[in-house]
Amino acid sequence: MNLLLNFFMKYFVPTAEAATNVGFFEAIKPPVDISTYGHLVDSLFMLTTWLILFFFFFVCLGIFGFSYLYNKKRHPKAEYDHGTSRKQIALVAGIGALVFIMVDMQITTISNRDFVNVFLKYPTETEKQVRVQVLGQQWAWNFRYPGKDEIFNTEDDVVTLNDLRVPVNTKVIFQITSKDVIHSLYFPNARIKVDAMPGRISRLWYELTKTGIYDIACAEMCGTFHYRMQAKLTVYSQAEYDTWLNEMQERSRFTTEPDKNDLYWGWQWKQTAPATLSKN
Amino acid sequence: MAFFEQDIHDAPTTFLSKYVISYDHKVIAKQFLWYGIAFLGVGGMMALMIRWTLAFPGEPFPVIGQMLFPNSGGVVPPDTYAMLFTLHGTIMIFFAITPILIGAFGNFCIPLMIGARDMVFPTLNMLSFWLAVLSALLLVVSLFTPLGAAAGGWTSYPTLSTLIGSAGVGQTLWCLSLFVLGVSSTMGAVNYIATIITLRAPGMGYFDMPLTVWGLWLTAILNAIFLPVLGAGLLLLTFDRVFGTTFFLAGAAATSGSGDPVLFQHVFWIFGHPEVYILILPAWGIVSDLLSFFARKPAFGARATALSMTSITILSTVVYGHHMYSSQMSPLLTQSFMMLTMVISIPSAVFFANWLGTLWRGSLRFQTPMLFSLGVVFVFGLGGLTGLYLATVSTDLYLHDTYFVVGHFHYTMAASVLLGGFAGTYFWFPKMFGRMMNERLGKIHFWISMVGLNGIFMGMMIIGHAGMHRRIYNPFVYEFLQNLIPLNKFITYSAIVMGLGQLFFVYNYIYSMYKGPIATQNPWEVGTLDWTIPSPAPHYNFKEIPVVRCGPHEFGNPNLVGKDFQYQTEELVKA
Repeated sequence: MNLLLNFFMKYFVPTAEAATNVGFFEAIKPPVDISTYGHLVDSLFMLTTWLILFFFFFVCLGIFGFSYLYNKKRHPKAEYDHGTSRKQIALVAGIGALVFIMVDMQITTISNRDFVNVFLKYPTETEKQVRVQVLGQQWAWNFRYPGKDEIFNTEDDVVTLNDLRVPVNTKVIFQITSKDVIHSLYFPNARIKVDAMPGRISRLWYELTKTGIYDIACAEMCGTFHYRMQAKLTVYSQAEYDTWLNEMQERSRFTTEPDKNDLYWGWQWKQTAPATLSKN
Repeated sequence: MAFFEQDIHDAPTTFLSKYVISYDHKVIAKQFLWYGIAFLGVGGMMALMIRWTLAFPGEPFPVIGQMLFPNSGGVVPPDTYAMLFTLHGTIMIFFAITPILIGAFGNFCIPLMIGARDMVFPTLNMLSFWLAVLSALLLVVSLFTPLGAAAGGWTSYPTLSTLIGSAGVGQTLWCLSLFVLGVSSTMGAVNYIATIITLRAPGMGYFDMPLTVWGLWLTAILNAIFLPVLGAGLLLLTFDRVFGTTFFLAGAAATSGSGDPVLFQHVFWIFGHPEVYILILPAWGIVSDLLSFFARKPAFGARATALSMTSITILSTVVYGHHMYSSQMSPLLTQSFMMLTMVISIPSAVFFANWLGTLWRGSLRFQTPMLFSLGVVFVFGLGGLTGLYLATVSTDLYLHDTYFVVGHFHYTMAASVLLGGFAGTYFWFPKMFGRMMNERLGKIHFWISMVGLNGIFMGMMIIGHAGMHRRIYNPFVYEFLQNLIPLNKFITYSAIVMGLGQLFFVYNYIYSMYKGPIATQNPWEVGTLDWTIPSPAPHYNFKEIPVVRCGPHEFGNPNLVGKDFQYQTEELVKA
């Protein structure tokens, strides 16, 4: 009995340390939005929610309203109606069309517009941008910056482990692959993720608007310690970023040994659409 | 309509031929039901362990934890956690829902509702069950192999599921197990399709079939077409694991030649998306019928319901790409799949309207099967509508692989299918066992399940929208998930409530089988062919093959005297 009581006390009675000091609606908010396109995702989500609530309201009205109005006591004699009259067929077809036009067409159009105009609008070569190559592995993220010469896989590359630092208000473009299993580079704060697949290079870009330190996770099941595949995203102001990069640059002269082959996992930056990695 | 004489053989007399190697579709249905319910229990227990780990990371699992995980003092270890969610998915989909909804109700309802004495291929039917048993054995055995069972998620994406990500024989056994199960289900599917086409009672056109049969038929068609696709993918994966081929290996992992891991995703989801509909179609059919039966009113636009289920069946084969947005397919493909996925909501809206139309001006009786059917309308409404977020690419790129997806597909595939399965179980129990289940316990079971389900899956969608991703052992190593600890605990409590609520069902089911009140021939007063014969259904069902003269949903005809429904064997009374 005592054992049972202890058990109950331990798990079912809220304790002071378990209770966080944020309210429910604060707690369930998605993480703070730090990218230029995060609001597109959030606003489409909200729009879809309202549309869904609108239609689900009618479903509930049907279930509960009809249950109340037409239960056996209140409505003992059911109507003999197959629902096959012209009017009824038109009504049902109308509801189908209404859902399609009001919900589907709307959110598809918006999503497609955002997809084409924003998510697929990778920065052009001439635009100011930061390029990063990402290599996923069990269970860590490797990031590679090209260094001063702007060419990847040279001795002045800056390579970090689970530590991504980017400047604020600058477009960052990633090319991503994996060396073992499929991972997924997930930036909850930027509302975006993309798979890292062995043998392929996938791409992603964003522009961040808030400085600070945020989480990066792996969203695709990648083995036992999938949950530990965590990296930190540091968003710096341009000046801080330059300082950091210079410092790393200095250090890379001592850490990158020219004859150590496995340090050179980077690849030539692909300018065109993502392609299959050629074997070397 | 019957193409050939259906002979009557003597009833089997030995225990072995009666209950084990049985050719009787009713016995096979019960075998599948037991099998499914047993695995439902196992899968549910796994779900509780998963939930426990997420809410109380590092705490020993109560009661049986010490016994199951002695090395870690009762705490679920991370590698076991991966096996748990892999097997939870696999078991629930292939070993619980498939046998209950398709194996049990398919076998039981199809011959009874179309007026046949048995399936067309009784031997195939028997083999189908025993192959399913073999497949379950393979899966269970894999738990005791040196490195444990498969742990790559139920989707088992390579290269994680190849030797690079999971050494050990467990994953290979998983592939073989599902391959065998695919053979078993395909056998069943071929049998159902052939039975429905050839053995419908004279006078029964396709639109005179109850919608349950429609749902099961469409499911069988999808099964027959797409399970072989899964089988092919699994064989290739097995080759990669055992014979050193490189169909799904690429990059540094491929030492000789190069394949493509994304190929498996295509193969898997070509099967995997129809699979969702394979699971839900029987439940839709059952619900469409039961709503009409308990509203005492003809099914509203039954033909439109059947046709919209058919169009969903067809559409389900061309939308699979929405599972792969984050793998960066060609944008053109992404856009096409987004559009095609959206089209599914038209037929869905049509049969939702028809379901509500059936209730409209009916005379509703809230017996247990009706409650569960209304529950399906509610949870499937939620589940279906939340699919919209995942169909539009920009929101999906955020929500993909988060708990939002988990909540969404549990609403559609778990909650709706489970409630639909329970509705069917309560409804056909008298015809299966000749006794009634207890109404009061059934209603308690319904309300607990309903509260539990919504607590769990709504909670999951909320934490998913807050960014929590799937398949993580301890979410709270991430700073952005710290606030979700209380909500995760709430979900776990809901899951415990839900799990305990099922005890009402188990008790009711077993007690009623032996001690329940004796059922009359037609306790629910409905007119389909299964209720024209005594309860429990006799050997070879129909002494005389019935002749069908009207539709399955003839209720409330004002010119009927003494009763408010018509048997399908009666001439339609003019209204």
